[in-house]
Amino acid sequence: MMIQVFLSALLAVVAAMIGLQRTTSRLVRLSVLVVIAVGAYFVWDPERSTLLAESLGVGRGADLVLYLWVVLTLALIVFLYLKIVRLSRKLTQLTRAVALAHPQTPDNAGESS
Amino acid sequence: MDETAQPLARARTWVVMPAFHEAQVIRRSVTELRTQFPNVVVVDDGSHDATAEEALAGGAVVVRHPLNLGQGAALQTGIQFALARGADFIATFDADGQHHVEDLVALLEVLEREPLDIVLGSRFAGRAEGLSLARRVFLKAAVLFTNLTTGVRLTDAHNGLRVMTAAAARRIEIRQDQMAHASELVAQIGRLGLRFKEVPVTITYSPYSVQKGQRLSNGFRILSDLVAGWLLR
Repeated sequence: MMIQVFLSALLAVVAAMIGLQRTTSRLVRLSVLVVIAVGAYFVWDPERSTLLAESLGVGRGADLVLYLWVVLTLALIVFLYLKIVRLSRKLTQLTRAVALAHPQTPDNAGESS
Repeated sequence: MDETAQPLARARTWVVMPAFHEAQVIRRSVTELRTQFPNVVVVDDGSHDATAEEALAGGAVVVRHPLNLGQGAALQTGIQFALARGADFIATFDADGQHHVEDLVALLEVLEREPLDIVLGSRFAGRAEGLSLARRVFLKAAVLFTNLTTGVRLTDAHNGLRVMTAAAARRIEIRQDQMAHASELVAQIGRLGLRFKEVPVTITYSPYSVQKGQRLSNGFRILSDLVAGWLLR
């Protein structure tokens, strides 16, 4: 009983954080909320998750959750990595624009532009 | 080419020199270069030392990245600067003193004389002075990798001494900010169908240039940068 309460409280906090912020798209927020709702359901009815797992050829519900977690995490890492690369390209463009806007020649050395 | 045409081509050339923490040597590099090439732009890639001041003292124009981005980004910035200044030919030249001005003169002559888009220096067709065995093996592996992945056959894929026409420079876009830019450039030569030629040059490895140069372990970093570049092309 203790673990169910603890996990449910944690999921509720995460759901509130996701639901209240407005920086990600509605689709992403909705998907995360659905995942949280399914997780909360399985917390209180683990046998159901085992039934689902067995129908997919996995022994236990907890194992199914673990496998899905690994796959989702890997996908997230790749997504974040590509996002960082895209961000650094924007940073490059900005830095280049600043550099090209202020060339220094031996004649105007010391001035700012 | 007759005697008078040579200096004219040099006057129409901008030499791009990327530099990061090169205050010790850059004034000398710029001064030597400017005996033959009046237009030198040093791209100071966010140095914290006196690189920019020393380059200015040597007579170069300086553009400064407010942040350190990497050599590839500095080259692209310099190329865009040169194009904006109306250069007909654009050369790249390392700041650390490993290249020789006479070699750039020879490269430019080849580019002028023959129907080419870009002329690349090759240390393996020429001479590499003070090159350690480990570095030679690393560079040869890089050449093999670049030849296999780009379909362009070169003897030295990672030489910082090159000269290209303005038309070629406008088509080339270096998007690899760090050291993977050399492989990327070769790949673009292949993809764009640029006419290229390798010309032997001498690279002089000094203790300074070796210490400033690539750590061999950077090969893995370059590989992962290239993979990211392919994913996002």
